[in-house]
Amino acid sequence: MFQFLFKKEQQVEQLIYQYLDNLKMAQDNFLTAMNVYFEKGFCEDFDFLIEQTHKVESKADDTRYEIETMMYAKALIPESRGDVLGLLEAIDQIPGLFELILYMIQTQRLSTPDFLVLDIKELIRVSLECCDLLIKEVEALFKKSGDIRSLVSNIDNNESHCDHIERRIIARIFDADLDPFQKLQLKEMVIQLGEISDQADRVSRRVHIISTKRRV
Amino acid sequence: MSSLLSAIFLGWSLGANNQANVFGSAVSSRMVKFWTAAILASVFVLLGSLLEGEACIETYTGLTRMTLELAVISSLASAGTVTLMTVLGLPVSTSQTVPGAIFAIGLLNRQLDLPGMGKVVACWFGTPVGGVLIAVVLYYGLAAVYNRLKINLFQSDKVLRVCLIIAGSYGAYTLGANNVANVTAVFVGAGVLTVFSAVLIGGMSIGFGIMTYSRPVIETVGKKLVKLDAFSALVVVLAESITVHIYTFIGVPVSTSQAVVGAVLGVGIVRGINTIRRRTMVNILLAWFLTPVMACFLTLVIDFIANLHYVPSR
Repeated sequence: MFQFLFKKEQQVEQLIYQYLDNLKMAQDNFLTAMNVYFEKGFCEDFDFLIEQTHKVESKADDTRYEIETMMYAKALIPESRGDVLGLLEAIDQIPGLFELILYMIQTQRLSTPDFLVLDIKELIRVSLECCDLLIKEVEALFKKSGDIRSLVSNIDNNESHCDHIERRIIARIFDADLDPFQKLQLKEMVIQLGEISDQADRVSRRVHIISTKRRV
Repeated sequence: MSSLLSAIFLGWSLGANNQANVFGSAVSSRMVKFWTAAILASVFVLLGSLLEGEACIETYTGLTRMTLELAVISSLASAGTVTLMTVLGLPVSTSQTVPGAIFAIGLLNRQLDLPGMGKVVACWFGTPVGGVLIAVVLYYGLAAVYNRLKINLFQSDKVLRVCLIIAGSYGAYTLGANNVANVTAVFVGAGVLTVFSAVLIGGMSIGFGIMTYSRPVIETVGKKLVKLDAFSALVVVLAESITVHIYTFIGVPVSTSQAVVGAVLGVGIVRGINTIRRRTMVNILLAWFLTPVMACFLTLVIDFIANLHYVPSR
């Protein structure tokens, strides 16, 4: 009955789902790029996938700015505006990390020793699982379609698992007979990979707070 | 018609000042556009005046005997008190100004319905108390319903915004129904206006105040208000409106500002936070005492000046 009063809110809602689609696309590109890197090393496909990840990340940024503009045009009530903007800003760091890691590998011509590949692949798999769960959690917040508390708990478990893998990889790097400069480069990459699950965990907690706060 | 100018001015200032109590938090936080709020409030104030304004008018007309001259004096004194106290930065309520002026007229007439006046004064004290109690009950009741709703963030926003518009309109309705007596009741007592023309002129002048000058008041008051979340703001507006509506049934005009203070205090009690500063409470006590005294004094002064005559010496 009052739908005509809330055109802006409906547009914002659609843009948020569009933003989550972009995040998923950036995640898929990142995973494919890393697999190509481990299998073929530096090649045209790898460069192409980095470019694709960058484009998707930029598109996500544009969507976020569009949402911000609509918010400042007075969509939603003020406290929800702050919550949604803060949440998107926090999520937006994740595609930024995908881009950062890929550029780090590309520009520093980083070579990953074979004995680390399985562990790093495992770290990427669990980190991206955190991202999938996070997208589900954000959708649950906006669609009221899932159990946010159990999703928070799953992300938290995955994040702990990632921390464990991260420490194991770093220990193996420094145990190995590698060039000290390469050790530092690899350590930095592993830390940034670990940061994906850390950020997903931070955002997940934020979603939980937003959801809890809305109970009166 | 010129004798009604002071009443129209009083209605105008009442509308300009009291719109902040019904749509203030919604407009100052940009949840509702000013013009949407102003048009809705003006329409509902007029509706409230026309449909339920009679009861409070009857209470005021029964307090003392009025003539056209006394009605003009009391109306002028009320409008003067509101202006003077606003300029001096002192708390003021029209619902306490008009009884002060009527009391002075009663003294001049040597005819005052003391039990009726006692009922009016008792309702002043009951207004913030009513606001507190109704806000507490409403908060628990509405929270139980709201928390059971299976709605997402966007839907919850929509629900709150629509409810705020409905509650604000209801608040405007009760403002018109309750406070229109402050504007034109003395002219009904004097036999200058019929009840219908009194509620029509009163309601329109309040609406005129809302449309022309409530925006700066909302912006000023909005900055001083405690920042409430949307749900609490809804409870406050509803509690204030219900309180004022109850006093409309009783037939006594009361201060919407004091009902709001009570309601904000009630929300603070439920949420365990300090929502009201001590200064606000002191202001209410000051308004209860200073406003009627000032209106009474000003009525006597205006009457004295109006009756100054040259008496030739023999």
